[in-house]
Amino acid sequence: MKVTVKLIGPFINTLGFSEKQIELPAEATVEMVLSSLPLDPARPKIVTRNGQAVALNEKLKDGDRVVISPIYSGG
Amino acid sequence: MYGWTGNILRINLTNRTHKKETFDEQFALKWVGGRGFALKILWDELKPGIDPLGPENKLIISVGPIAGIPAPNTGKTVVAAKSPLTGGYGDGNLGTRVTEQMRKAGYDIIIIEGQSDKPIYLYIEDDKIEYLPADEIWGKGTYDTHAYLYKKYGKGAGVLSIGQGGENLNLYAMIRSLEGRAGGRPGIGAVMGSKKLKAIVIKGSKPIPVADPDGMRKLGLDDLRKVGEIDKQTGWSIQGTTGVLAWCNEVAALPVRNMRKTHHPDAWKIDGERLNNARVATYGCPNCTMRCGITILDHEGHESELDYENIGMLGSNLEIFELDQVASLNYLCDDFGLDTISAGAVLAFYADAIDHGAIKGDFRFGDAEKAKELLRKAALREGEVGNLLADGTMRMAQRIGQGSEAYAMHVKGLEISAYNCKFIPGMALAFGTSPIGAHHKESWVITYELKQSQRDSYGPEKAAKVIELQRIRGGLFEFIVACRFPWIELGWDINHYTTYFNKVTGLNWTLDDFWKVADRIYALMKFFWVREFPDWNRTKDYPPMIWFDPANADTEGPIAGKVLELDKYEKLLDFYYEQRGWDRRGIPTKKTAEALDLKEEAAEVEKFTKLE
Ligand code: SF4
Repeated sequence: MKVTVKLIGPFINTLGFSEKQIELPAEATVEMVLSSLPLDPARPKIVTRNGQAVALNEKLKDGDRVVISPIYSGG
Repeated sequence: MYGWTGNILRINLTNRTHKKETFDEQFALKWVGGRGFALKILWDELKPGIDPLGPENKLIISVGPIAGIPAPNTGKTVVAAKSPLTGGYGDGNLGTRVTEQMRKAGYDIIIIEGQSDKPIYLYIEDDKIEYLPADEIWGKGTYDTHAYLYKKYGKGAGVLSIGQGGENLNLYAMIRSLEGRAGGRPGIGAVMGSKKLKAIVIKGSKPIPVADPDGMRKLGLDDLRKVGEIDKQTGWSIQGTTGVLAWCNEVAALPVRNMRKTHHPDAWKIDGERLNNARVATYGCPNCTMRCGITILDHEGHESELDYENIGMLGSNLEIFELDQVASLNYLCDDFGLDTISAGAVLAFYADAIDHGAIKGDFRFGDAEKAKELLRKAALREGEVGNLLADGTMRMAQRIGQGSEAYAMHVKGLEISAYNCKFIPGMALAFGTSPIGAHHKESWVITYELKQSQRDSYGPEKAAKVIELQRIRGGLFEFIVACRFPWIELGWDINHYTTYFNKVTGLNWTLDDFWKVADRIYALMKFFWVREFPDWNRTKDYPPMIWFDPANADTEGPIAGKVLELDKYEKLLDFYYEQRGWDRRGIPTKKTAEALDLKEEAAEVEKFTKLE
């Protein structure tokens, strides 16, 4: 299945892309997406799926949009 | 007494006199600095009901014990007065060289009273105070004003000034300092303008009293370096606050079209990534090693420094998605000395009211050139439209009527900043209970609401989180006076600030001591409002009604079909009041006031309304 990963703020510079589609096996979880990316696991982040907060063990569906953002405290 | 100079400079502009006064340790320990000092002085010295734009209002400039000390992000100063926009307590903070210069000149507080008969500016150098004619800068924008004053007094001088907005009593005029820095959203610039005070220049040469000067200096410089390193590692300042725009767009929290919509397919055109790519310079506040002032060239070729609020309120909220045009609107606001948040909200409300047939006009969402023309009219109070726009959203809605009050996006008269809370209950509560009207600086709970809680929860945990953040953001950072960004954005532990405070003052405070001061200040800010509006009731802590209107729900996207629910919001408000020890009207009870050492203040407020 195909899932879109969108990065926010400095994660774009860390990983060198802003948004891309990735190919995942069926039943892949959010955690699998995260661990496939070289992001510091200790860095606090907020992950949403189709605009909603998501648990790491949640299974993804084809066409999902996963957004990974650092924690902000507002502008 | 270490940490405080203990001095107040009181200047009367009516008769051009000044005197140096002192405050004692008891006052310092009770109110600490910044917002605490300003609030207590305004409470004690202003008669309720005075005209905020009359000679009886006072403009307060105040700093805190760690302000200006070389340590992370201590370059901020608080400006405060009774707000002409809201009628309640109003303040703001801004990064400025005034912070350090004022402390070196030997003052923690400057009180400016009365009204000059002619435009003037003040030059303060230690004990010398000069009242100088402002003929050459009155009528000029803040960029020219600052350039003129820097040429005369050198770049190291602390300068605060107003633009034409403040001169013409635009009700959301701010005070400007440095490139892109401004403070005093609730019309504090208009108060300065009403006093015919164009600018304040300040220079000092004395040492700042620090209990452990060597220890503090070493620690402060070390921590400045560490914060800079963490910023480099994390990359926060690559987009600074503007990274928030793309995220808000994803989670349906972006202000679009006067906050009628929560996301937009073109939002990416004005996001932090585009902004960083267009960057020509970076500016920041003094004592900052994570400078967030991303500067690009606007449509006319001026340098314009943008943050998230600017691109949210002057961009997506107006459906203007050309970055250089958003930068132009931002430049104009900065030059006229207008608050970008309120200006964006005012223009969006105007376009919305026209769209809904509530008023006739030719301004439409997305029209950047017309928006520029309207900003100028609002700043100069030109004609009927300029005068309408200069008065802010609340008064505009009162004048326009036709049900437009429901979509006038303000709380207590202050325009809501760039978070669309159509379906974010906790953040709606944060705006509702923000003590100067709707401002994000007091409490920002959106990430908490999406991460650790449920977005649709109206439970006591959300009220508790709002209070916890108000204590830190609207409390601690506003009374010790420092920028809050290292704390969450870089994960800089809050306990660092206790250490700085103790090293500077020689005291041994814990965070709990800070929270008590924060709660005291929040209670007194509420008393200030109640004294001005004795028929106070909880509806003043409501966000605009359109957020509760099912007809306003998104038709697609993450929160399709959902809006806030009023009965549940009421419950959330009850949780908030209960946890704060306030009654069902949202007023601190006698018991709470006593526990916060506000017995005298409670007795004063009882002249206006009975406390429970
Ligand atoms: S992080 Fe930004 S707002 Fe805070 S002190 Fe630095 S430049 Fe100023």
